[in-house]
Amino acid sequence: MHTRLRVHRRTATVAVIAAVIALPGCGGNVGDEGSKDQTSFPDRAITLLVGQDPGGSTDLTARAAAKPAGADLDETVTVVNKPGANGAVAAKELAGAKADGHTLMLFVGSLAYITPLAVSADEAVDINDYEVVTGLSQDDYVLVASPKSGFKTVKDIVDADRSIKYGTTGVGTGSHLSQALLFSQAKVKATAVPFDGGAPTLTAVLGGQVDVASIQLGEAQPQIKAGKITPLVTFAEKRPTYMADIPTAVEAGYDVPVQQSRAVVAPKGTPKEVVDRLRTAFGKAFEDKKYQDFNTQRLLTPNEVEGAELLKQWTGSLKTYRALVDKYRIDMSGN
Amino acid sequence: MSPVLDGFAVVVEPTNLLYCLVGVVIGMLVGVLPGLGPAATIAILLPITLGIEPVTAIIMLAGIFYGAQYGGTITSVLLRLPGEASSVVTVFDGHALARQGKAGTALGIAAIGSFVGGTLAIIALSVVAPLVAEFALDFGPPEYTMLALLGILLVATVSGGGMLKALIAAAVGLLLATVGRDGFTSAERFTFDSLSLADGLDFVPIAMGLFGLGEILYTLETRHRAAHSPTTVANVWPSRSDLRQSSGAIGRGGVIGFVLGILPGGGAVLASLAAYAVEKRRSRTPERFGHGAVEGIAAPETANNAAATSSFIPLLSLGLPANATMAVIFGALLIQGVTPGPQLVTENPELFWGVVNSMYIGNILLLIMSIPLVGLFVRILRVRPTILAPITVLITLIGAYTVNNSVFDIGLVVFFGVLGYLMKKLGFDPGPLVLAFVLGSLLESSLRRSLLLFEGDPGGFLTRPISGTLFVLFLAVALLPAARTVWRTRTADPRRSEESV
Repeated sequence: MHTRLRVHRRTATVAVIAAVIALPGCGGNVGDEGSKDQTSFPDRAITLLVGQDPGGSTDLTARAAAKPAGADLDETVTVVNKPGANGAVAAKELAGAKADGHTLMLFVGSLAYITPLAVSADEAVDINDYEVVTGLSQDDYVLVASPKSGFKTVKDIVDADRSIKYGTTGVGTGSHLSQALLFSQAKVKATAVPFDGGAPTLTAVLGGQVDVASIQLGEAQPQIKAGKITPLVTFAEKRPTYMADIPTAVEAGYDVPVQQSRAVVAPKGTPKEVVDRLRTAFGKAFEDKKYQDFNTQRLLTPNEVEGAELLKQWTGSLKTYRALVDKYRIDMSGN
Repeated sequence: MSPVLDGFAVVVEPTNLLYCLVGVVIGMLVGVLPGLGPAATIAILLPITLGIEPVTAIIMLAGIFYGAQYGGTITSVLLRLPGEASSVVTVFDGHALARQGKAGTALGIAAIGSFVGGTLAIIALSVVAPLVAEFALDFGPPEYTMLALLGILLVATVSGGGMLKALIAAAVGLLLATVGRDGFTSAERFTFDSLSLADGLDFVPIAMGLFGLGEILYTLETRHRAAHSPTTVANVWPSRSDLRQSSGAIGRGGVIGFVLGILPGGGAVLASLAAYAVEKRRSRTPERFGHGAVEGIAAPETANNAAATSSFIPLLSLGLPANATMAVIFGALLIQGVTPGPQLVTENPELFWGVVNSMYIGNILLLIMSIPLVGLFVRILRVRPTILAPITVLITLIGAYTVNNSVFDIGLVVFFGVLGYLMKKLGFDPGPLVLAFVLGSLLESSLRRSLLLFEGDPGGFLTRPISGTLFVLFLAVALLPAARTVWRTRTADPRRSEESV
């Protein structure tokens, strides 16, 4: 037993020495290749940070895209969840990561254009501090009512002429913003009751704890189909194909287009060739049948635009929302 | 009844049986590794499930979930390391028994209790799932407020040591629960401008630090001071009298666990706590609790396993994930192209019944595995502390890291480890702190939500039947000991006066 151990130890020592000798040589090679061009990208597995918990829409989107994109890059794209502060924790980590394209993040739009309305300026994340690789998809919100409330349309709420309670998926979320805007435009006296994410909010509507709530389409759909909750309006810009028979808030006469959007983002300063290569890889992913099926199943609308276009969308949204919030004097922190 | 039987046909397919076994084995291992929870494990395994059939995948993932409940007990008993909030209560008596060299008894009782609790809950689930699912919806913020209040009250009564020290520890726990960005106003509270604290503290680093690391630091110190008497580990199985003593606890624990497990959010923690409190209250010798009472393990272990099983009810019959692990299983179903919702039972009966029925097999497999493993695991205690301690610390730190993939959490474990050491030195039990922490966030958010719903009128709690009933129960639990002492002194007084005459 002892002798065998010693032999192992000796071989191990030899191996370590060999490795130490070999290392400087290796390093030199890598350096040479790096200075030639960027064609060596990617030279190892890619990390895709997700600022949300596993199992949610954002996490699933990341996983659905990571697999086919990785196949095109011929490297694994690993999804790593770093939940916290609606993705601000992951965004901070991304900002500190090496800008070589091996660390990416699945960025949620609300972090860029809704959270800044709720938190102090120094905590707000600015999307311009990052390199956008590609847009992914948009997730619409639908206003659903508990059967106990008896509401079938927004007009019913207005006509009811009473103070209502609305559930949100959290303070400073799209769910909160969409309803705050709607009810202040409709001059309905309404109290926001924030819950901790989509599922608890849905539970509250189902149980009639709140009158209405704004929930992402994919989450609300099974309950709508089963007739457990009533859809009133969607907050989409135009009717989503998945719920073509439900009017948008704009059609109902209220200026509240609120959507969740998702994009793949790299640290600032990532070389253009690398960003382009990644964009091609995700482009391949968008053609993947399984990825498309995922979008259909989760009722996500593809928004597979280039980085510049996405930046325009998101900074535009932030401006619009800021103006609307000021106009209707909505306090996004609290109510 | 035929879809139920078809479900069994699904389960006995060799692949499904194999994956069920794989699931429970992984689950048990995950449970044994402190910190590494089933939610993180299932998230890691998600890509693997893509290649297999939906039923098979969910059978395996469910196995991991309830298998982890079995495994979690082992570290709670042997190393005083609760892996999940629902096994904190097990530490009280489990570790005391291990100290007395009866680790085998503790683990044996826990395994039997877990098996009975799990199996009873599956039977109940099969029969009443659609009926009781709606019950979960009747629980709104006011009801959760009352449950959390009741839970915090129980925390103070169940723990060993002095009542005053327990209350101080619980108060610290409540205070820790307020750390983080306020969910109602986005105001920063005790975050010291750190993003890592924005979402508040997590249960795992606190429990790992206070229990695990704190205990290790403490034993290292005592070893230097006095000769550490080696723990004798007799591989004793629970005796007949142990089983007889705990049979009532197992039955009651199963019922409490099943009922509370249906509630999304905090069900399992409350269940284990309530089951323990009921046993302590019923016992004619409550002073044994905390010093190695077998009922003190049987009740919470049965309850948390029953709760783990019944927490599938909201997921499978309503499409609502009840906890973090359920959320990941929900995601796994979505990836498989199955949307969990109210129509799952009618649209995918083979999936519903396949998964439900696989739990019978899984529980039997776990019980069978437990028998040889208990003997194996208790030997951990024979390992010299100089070797065991560093390994435990390492595994704990890795486990804490995996929860949020955050280095900050490792720092938290160290911080709470030092705090745990100091608490132990000063005679504070970390149990009330940890439990109050878990219930504190539930209490605060539910209370504030309730007041929003009631437009600031606290009288609203009494206008709702369930929250009103819970409030009366709360008063009863709070005032009963006081009333009892008054009654006792009154009845005792005349006798004393007679004697004196």
